[in-house]
Amino acid sequence: MTPAFALPARAWAMLALTEARMVVRDTAGLVVPLGLPVLIMVMNGIGADGAGRAEFRGLPALDAYVVPLTIVMVVALIGVVNMPSFLASYRKAGVLRRLSVTPAHPASVLVAQVAVSLAQTLLGVALALLVARSAFGVAMPRDPFTAAGAFLLAAAAMYAVGMVVAALAPTPNAAVAIGLVLFFATMAAGGGFGGRGQLPGWLDALGGHLPYGAGLDALSDAWTGAAPDPAQLGALAGTTVLAAAVAAKTFRWS
Amino acid sequence: MAVVEVDGLRKRYGDTVAVDGVSFAVEEGEIFGILGPNGAGKTTIVECVEGVRRPDAGRIRVLGLDPSRDRAKLRRVLGAQLQSGMLPEKLRVGEALALYRSFYREGADPERLLADLGLAGKRGTAFEDLSGGQAQRLAIALALVGRPRVAVLDELTTGLDPQARRGTWDLIEQVRDTGVTVLLVTHLMEEAERLCDRVVIVDRGRPAALGTPGGLIAALDAPRRVRFRTEEPFDRAVLAGLEEVTEVRTRRSETVVTGTGDLLRAVGTALLRHGVVATETRLERATLEDAFLALTGRPYQDGEAA
Repeated sequence: MTPAFALPARAWAMLALTEARMVVRDTAGLVVPLGLPVLIMVMNGIGADGAGRAEFRGLPALDAYVVPLTIVMVVALIGVVNMPSFLASYRKAGVLRRLSVTPAHPASVLVAQVAVSLAQTLLGVALALLVARSAFGVAMPRDPFTAAGAFLLAAAAMYAVGMVVAALAPTPNAAVAIGLVLFFATMAAGGGFGGRGQLPGWLDALGGHLPYGAGLDALSDAWTGAAPDPAQLGALAGTTVLAAAVAAKTFRWS
Repeated sequence: MAVVEVDGLRKRYGDTVAVDGVSFAVEEGEIFGILGPNGAGKTTIVECVEGVRRPDAGRIRVLGLDPSRDRAKLRRVLGAQLQSGMLPEKLRVGEALALYRSFYREGADPERLLADLGLAGKRGTAFEDLSGGQAQRLAIALALVGRPRVAVLDELTTGLDPQARRGTWDLIEQVRDTGVTVLLVTHLMEEAERLCDRVVIVDRGRPAALGTPGGLIAALDAPRRVRFRTEEPFDRAVLAGLEEVTEVRTRRSETVVTGTGDLLRAVGTALLRHGVVATETRLERATLEDAFLALTGRPYQDGEAA
């Protein structure tokens, strides 16, 4: 696929603009990943007592747990559900096949879609942080570099998993279904419906090493200023490498 | 030098041989047709020409380029319209054309192309809201926006109503008149007869004939047919006895006479001599469908439903 990337810069700009238009015109896909996580955060924030907790090194649960959870939710919704559904629908509609007879390799659309959906993710995170800060006075992470690193690592893992969904889903509907199942399953096991402490030990350990739980814990550590668990960071990196390899091996253009 | 050369092309999918021993050469400025029923292997042939499939055997050159090896160079000189699919449903006509234009360093003016194809009023319409004819015209525009030297058009008018079909044929002739060489895949005999300078007829992956539509029909020495209507019943023996006539059939008021030689004159003279008043007399000429029947021994299945 090397010749694909000999495209004029203008073509890359147009591809990104096109993907941005597609994302914006898909109203549900635009609003849900931005609005739903923030709504859940707000509902938690309204009921919160704001008291510092020892387990979070003195931070309230809203700051150290709910806000990281919100960020991971934005990343997961866009990376595992939205992005793959676009790619699956492009395959089904023959968009990728049509591009294969132009100077633009169909892989260029994947690159553009990833870039645009990442921008949407950053917008969602910025919105969540803005609301958290202005409505509930949530503190920013004590260790911003760890936070940025954890975010990027979690995003890489989620997007790689999303690429596997896009590669294996036979139809756009299947892509949404598989994406949602993965989203809810890893969210449940990762502590999204209450702390993982209530789960059986094996499920707690498993969920903590899947992208949702591992990303949540790493971000939570960044907020409290604790050192992230190397095993969880390794799990995120390993998921990224493994899923990217599977996706690259199995992705079909038509 | 031929613009497209295909020599001994062979392609199989598993145990199925899709294309076997197809050869042809397309000259510059020609509209060249690949004609055959559905499943004959036409699309496989052009996919090999486009470089999206690799042939098992045979040699292909497009403007001297090997489609399997020189894909990147080929993409800049070959414009393609695929049988199905192309754009995200919410992408608008003008946006799609601007996007495709950006892939090429040199190309056509999108506004001009839209005007030429009668899509200027549809610039802001989403792909999903276009009619079949409009979508096909957009497909042609996208195939031409990089100003290719060769355009490959696969089943361009399938699913169009007769009026839209004729409009599309006019467009293809205009494209050829600008110097573009056109490789046209079709299962419509009428389309091939109307548009193509030359055709290769493909049947079950094998070439059945190659030539001009007129030449293929003329080579048939096919039986001719004369049709006419009569007000009053008449004795068919006045025709059946003629040397040129092989068969006479009458259904209600219409009579169909099959025969050879100067059939129209022989029939006309005989009717006149016996005082039979015939109206709407016409000679039916042989078509590529007759040629297909003669070449393969099977009637041509149009397969529009498939």
